[in-house]
Amino acid sequence: MKKRYILSLLGACLTMLFVVSCDRELPVNLNYKHYDFASLDPNGGTWTPVLLSSPEQLDVPEPADVNSAEYQSELADLKAAMSNLTSQQRSAIEYWTNNPAIRWMEIAMELVAKYNLIPGPNPDGTYTLPSPANPAGPPPFPFAHPAYSSRAYAHLTVAQFDGLIAAWHYKFLWERPTPSQVDPSIEPAYGESELPSYPSHGAVIAAASRDVLTAMFPLEKDYLAARAAEHLNSLMWAGEAVQSDIEVGEYIGSEVAKLALARASTDGMSKAQTPKPVSDSIKQSAIDRFGWHWENQEIPQRPVGLAPLYGKVKMWSVPNVELTRPGPPPAIGSAEYQADVELLISHQNNMTEEKRRIANYWQDGLGTYTPPGHWNTIAFDYIVKYKLNPLRTARTLAYMNMAIQDAGISCWDAKYFYHYPRPIQQIPSFKTIAGTPNFPSYTSGHSTFSAAAAEVLTRIFPQEGEIFREWAEEAAISRVYGGIHWSFDSEVGLEQGRDVASYTIAAMESDGAE
Amino acid sequence: MYARAQGAVYQPKLLINPQTTMNNYTRMLLVAACLFAGDGLLLAQTPTDAVMMKPREACLAVMYDHGKFDEYWEGSKLRTNATIATVHRRTIMPMIAIGIIDNLNVIISTPYVRTKSDEPNGGKLEGAKGFQDFGLVVKYRFLNRETETGKVAFVGALGFSTPMTNYLSDYLPYSLGFGAPEVSGRAIVQYEWNSGFYARASGAYLWRGETEAERDYYYANGSYYTAWMDVPNAVNFQLVAGKWFFGHSFHVEALYNSTTCLSGDDIRAYNAAQPTNRVEVGQVGLNAQYFFPNIKGFGVLAYYSQIISGRNMGKFTNLGAGLTYQFKF
Repeated sequence: MKKRYILSLLGACLTMLFVVSCDRELPVNLNYKHYDFASLDPNGGTWTPVLLSSPEQLDVPEPADVNSAEYQSELADLKAAMSNLTSQQRSAIEYWTNNPAIRWMEIAMELVAKYNLIPGPNPDGTYTLPSPANPAGPPPFPFAHPAYSSRAYAHLTVAQFDGLIAAWHYKFLWERPTPSQVDPSIEPAYGESELPSYPSHGAVIAAASRDVLTAMFPLEKDYLAARAAEHLNSLMWAGEAVQSDIEVGEYIGSEVAKLALARASTDGMSKAQTPKPVSDSIKQSAIDRFGWHWENQEIPQRPVGLAPLYGKVKMWSVPNVELTRPGPPPAIGSAEYQADVELLISHQNNMTEEKRRIANYWQDGLGTYTPPGHWNTIAFDYIVKYKLNPLRTARTLAYMNMAIQDAGISCWDAKYFYHYPRPIQQIPSFKTIAGTPNFPSYTSGHSTFSAAAAEVLTRIFPQEGEIFREWAEEAAISRVYGGIHWSFDSEVGLEQGRDVASYTIAAMESDGAE
Repeated sequence: MYARAQGAVYQPKLLINPQTTMNNYTRMLLVAACLFAGDGLLLAQTPTDAVMMKPREACLAVMYDHGKFDEYWEGSKLRTNATIATVHRRTIMPMIAIGIIDNLNVIISTPYVRTKSDEPNGGKLEGAKGFQDFGLVVKYRFLNRETETGKVAFVGALGFSTPMTNYLSDYLPYSLGFGAPEVSGRAIVQYEWNSGFYARASGAYLWRGETEAERDYYYANGSYYTAWMDVPNAVNFQLVAGKWFFGHSFHVEALYNSTTCLSGDDIRAYNAAQPTNRVEVGQVGLNAQYFFPNIKGFGVLAYYSQIISGRNMGKFTNLGAGLTYQFKF
């Protein structure tokens, strides 16, 4: 009897060990592989760049003939590099793929998540802000909040896009064959491609991304240099490009990064986080105009909201931010306002698992890649689904991220112009399930970002528009379920985001790609 | 923007005195060590003592536990955070221990947990409440031998727990639990002298599964593109010294309890904890239990515990009390 129980105990032990040993590997990268492009866009070099006046602006030399000794020597180096690949090199080939713009966005998003930490209070109750003059801090620079990160994503993807337009221009100008077209014994890791090899588009992306991200995340200089070095090497390991293809691609990437960073250095971002007197005068203007104002509710109270002058930052496609400024929110105490107070209390008292799920799914709060990052992951899925080539990928991401940043700028303009209080400021003992951010309520950033992103994606993938717009609306309402936004913040924010995107889409219509 | 801090809890210790027969005192100490690993809460229900119910005997218990902390370890740095102020965690835990056959017991528990922050707090976040994890422990006594000076016992325990409700584990410090299944294996050895003094040591390995968050991306020393979070496995050990008084109707004991996760990340600066965090806890406690001589089957117990060292964990103080009732069936 006793023995039987001991045996069954042992059996249970073994079963449990088996269950436990079934630990899965959790995905730390976006799940996509190299694929054949749906089209090559041979005219891509004629598309209108965002910052570059023309590909001819760059000093790109004519490539050596493939029969030249110079090229043949490079080809021999390529074949040597491709032989006896280590498993690490093979993993690098598989990782980077033939559409590496997505991988660099993934790196950007990881850095955003790493740096998206709000500085806490000092022991004396004051707050120290991150400073680009002293990036190591504490606190470290940057605080990659949604405004900062959307700006980083936009400048990164614009540099990639302009760089690839230039690369396409020269690819189809000189039509240098790929290494495997020159030497059929070469088996390229990503399959045969009809895309001319010079300049290497992978190298453009690597260099542009490295340089833009290094400026945006100065403490990551070495990390980014190492990632770029691996990416550049992988182009040879994969049999994609010879050294001269890569070198000229790197040159183009660095040049477009300079243009993007020159723009960023004068876009007004350095003045967005104001000193307290400026912040107080902005608040006073709202009190004078509307009779209400937003106050941070944290303990200790933060003296200045997040980036009060982000609404003055230079926009990509909207000539003047006030063109997209929505009308005022309901007056405090009005019937419409009271109805929203009731609505929020009702959500609080009737929280369901579905509302909670939506609030959390779209929260993308501190420590994450932010809502703009979330929309990039959505874009990646459809880029891969429709097998966009690197140039179309970059165009999709550039316009979407420009629209997202413009939407954020427009939203911030409204936030600090109207300076509308948050629900926790107005409703006694109100509790939320999401963290209330350190800036005014009207309009909702999530709503404007999401609507703008959804409109650009709908322009690119019209057959998928319904789901993009549905997700934007879900992202918008998620903030109301979370208890941190009024319903009109979200509704007007959606309209505002669509309005901003209409300017982006106007630019897309005339850039030559459609 | 705000930061959610992380919480942790040490859970109700329960002393149950089953029937007292002539020479054979059976009693059971059930310690449920609940650790919140990051945003995840791990509930390990581990019976850690050496004493067993007899067949066809059961002990029903209801415990009330109140844990609170106003400091927590962010990584290894102890700090306060006015965003969450003082966090309270109250647990009502019904449990039953049943004697199946000689030397084999089963213990079932169904804790109900409520969490919230004191007012005022800077975060103004809603607390949480609901049933946490169903816990099942099977305990087998391999050895129970009288010696010249006392008695020695060796016990093994296998535990399993899993969430009873769809609570959100990724909501620290308010989440009810770590939201993942746990399997534990424990070995317990105890010596009781004829004088009534006793000493006990136990060690356990806690295997934890994954918990599902309500987002499909998170950062844990790098990106994760999934809603699933790996809750770190842990080891636990416990040392207890105690003494019986008044002919085994009252005893007190002092305890040191330690739990250490074997992997995981640290809470980042002024940021919320999450279930992936590497949690470490060192805790001391005092337990007392009294069995009413005149009310058949009833006993009461009370305890106090304090976390004295930790990592990614709230510095909890816990106070608990409970009622036990033992019966035959």
